[in-house]
Amino acid sequence: MSETGNACVSETQGNYVLVRLSGEVDLSWSQQVRRAILDALDNTGKVGVELSQVSYIDSSGIAALVEGFQSARGKGQQFGLVGASAPVMSVLQLARLDKVFPLFATVEAARAG
Amino acid sequence: MNVPALATAGAEERRALRFLADLSQSLALSLDLRETLNLAVTRIADFMHAEAASLFLLDAETGVIDCRICVGPVDIRGLKLALGQGVVGRCVKENTTQVVLDARSDERVNSRVDAETGFQTRSILCAPLSTAQGAIGALEVINRRDGGLFEADDAEILRLIAAPAALAIGNAQLARGLIEQQRIKRELDLARTIQKSLLPKRRRGDFPVIGVNLPAHEISGDFYDFFDLDDGRIGFVVGDISGKGLDAAFLMVRAASLLRWCGKAGMAPAAWLDEVNVEMCQTLRNGRFVCAVVGYYDPATHSVDLASAGFPPALLHDGTHFEEFLADGPPLGILAEVKYSQRRIELGQRALYLFSDGATDVRDAQQHTLGSDGLRQLIASHANLAPEARLRALIGDLKRMRLVDDTTLMLVQVPRGKSVQSLLSLEFPAHAEQMRGMRAALRTALDAQDVNPTLRDQLVLAVDEACTNIIRHAYCDGESGKIALHLSRERDMLTFELCDEAPAVDPNRLKARDLNECKPGGLGVAFIDSLMDDWKLEPCAGGKGNVLRMRKYIGNGDDE
Repeated sequence: MSETGNACVSETQGNYVLVRLSGEVDLSWSQQVRRAILDALDNTGKVGVELSQVSYIDSSGIAALVEGFQSARGKGQQFGLVGASAPVMSVLQLARLDKVFPLFATVEAARAG
Repeated sequence: MNVPALATAGAEERRALRFLADLSQSLALSLDLRETLNLAVTRIADFMHAEAASLFLLDAETGVIDCRICVGPVDIRGLKLALGQGVVGRCVKENTTQVVLDARSDERVNSRVDAETGFQTRSILCAPLSTAQGAIGALEVINRRDGGLFEADDAEILRLIAAPAALAIGNAQLARGLIEQQRIKRELDLARTIQKSLLPKRRRGDFPVIGVNLPAHEISGDFYDFFDLDDGRIGFVVGDISGKGLDAAFLMVRAASLLRWCGKAGMAPAAWLDEVNVEMCQTLRNGRFVCAVVGYYDPATHSVDLASAGFPPALLHDGTHFEEFLADGPPLGILAEVKYSQRRIELGQRALYLFSDGATDVRDAQQHTLGSDGLRQLIASHANLAPEARLRALIGDLKRMRLVDDTTLMLVQVPRGKSVQSLLSLEFPAHAEQMRGMRAALRTALDAQDVNPTLRDQLVLAVDEACTNIIRHAYCDGESGKIALHLSRERDMLTFELCDEAPAVDPNRLKARDLNECKPGGLGVAFIDSLMDDWKLEPCAGGKGNVLRMRKYIGNGDDE
């Protein structure tokens, strides 16, 4: 984890890849997040993005999530958000995406879903 | 007459000179002029060997000549003559000595007194009491005691005798006039002080109501007043009493207290005028009336409720245009049955001017009145000044012209300037890495304003999105520059201002995308659109750079 608290770590759990994000997702590194999500989708058919430690996300971060979601859907892959924190949820609601993404409370639920 | 040198003069002339010297001295030293004059007239009669002598004084105001002192067989004190009437009247009017050698055949002689008293006038000398201001009276002697007739020399002697008397009386009158003037001035000064004390004190800081009263003379028939109500509204009154002078000033005191009393009760402006009108109709006399405008300013809504009784039109100025509000009924004190109406004016940032007709009646050097158009021009010329400075400038303009009537100006305007608080000023390079620090500073600033956390985070997001757009779209590839963020608060309105140095952006290019579409880009403007009350992008003056102003109202429980 960097001194900013921003981190993007991909964990492979069998056929499931979990991209753990933390810190403040903004324009300064949202390209890195986008790359990590798209890379995960290249490697496996089931990807989750864990957001419980994200204290802030802007439209460029949301765009990375949307791009992952659309890419997965196009290829028949599964893509979901896991444990979205309150700040993330409120931005999702603002963008009216809270009903678009599959949302899971826990990793277990996401893997099962 | 040629007065001979004393050494060579005859006994008669020496007697005359001695008498004149004594008379002059006694008048000059007199502590009681009336008493001294009484004695002097007796001595003049003796000296002139006259049967009767009298002193007449002219009342400069009425033109009536009045016998004040009289010695002789018939007391004619109190006898009143018109200027030019009879020997005395003519003497005063023409300021010349009159000599009547044979009264019976002289047309100047008024025979009425003789007819009424049985006195027989044979011969008359009458000398004016001459001063620099003309004749102020006359000294008259009648009939030589030896039965002979007065001669021309006698007339010259009487003229000489009259001189010190005129001097003494004239000086006494001047002194009395001065004392009277000073007394009146002292009393008017006192009246002015009392009147001024009835005007409200100027409030410190940003108060939305300010007024100025300029009396044309010592005392004023105009007045203004303002006061706080318990619910936060501010009541105000401007009035103008018909007529001028002391009685108008006394009436002003009464009208001002009545209007204040009803206004403090919080009555609606129309009812407020109704109430005072009925009372005024019962008590005003002699065709007097009162023009008045009354109202309340409500700081919660920035609106004014106004009603006018015969007062000149109120002017609402937005910096460019004027709107005029005519009176809602006749002046107070004329028709008891009148029901006034009232109106609401949404003030916003506009300025409401109330002025008595003295403001439009001022005259320039060519005697032209300023008029309503002239006053509007003056107001417009100072539109850029803060309210107080503007009112001072207006008064300065009016004072440079000639006031012909009492003049009162009141200005009602939402305070500007200091009420806008600056909360945060940041300048940073237009780089994505700077956003985190900007957000932290903005959060701190909003927390200090007790903005609730949910709203705070939304506002931070909107500002972040705006910066992001500047970084990505305004500063095109390779270009870099700065972003300045300024956050200010005016009451419950937050204004976020972002300035960049990028080439001018066409505001029409910025459109919020439809949030019902699901796609990665274009969300930023949509966020700003839904989170802020309004926003506006403008090129900076000078062609380089853009200013984005976003506003958010945070009153009413923080909007959540």
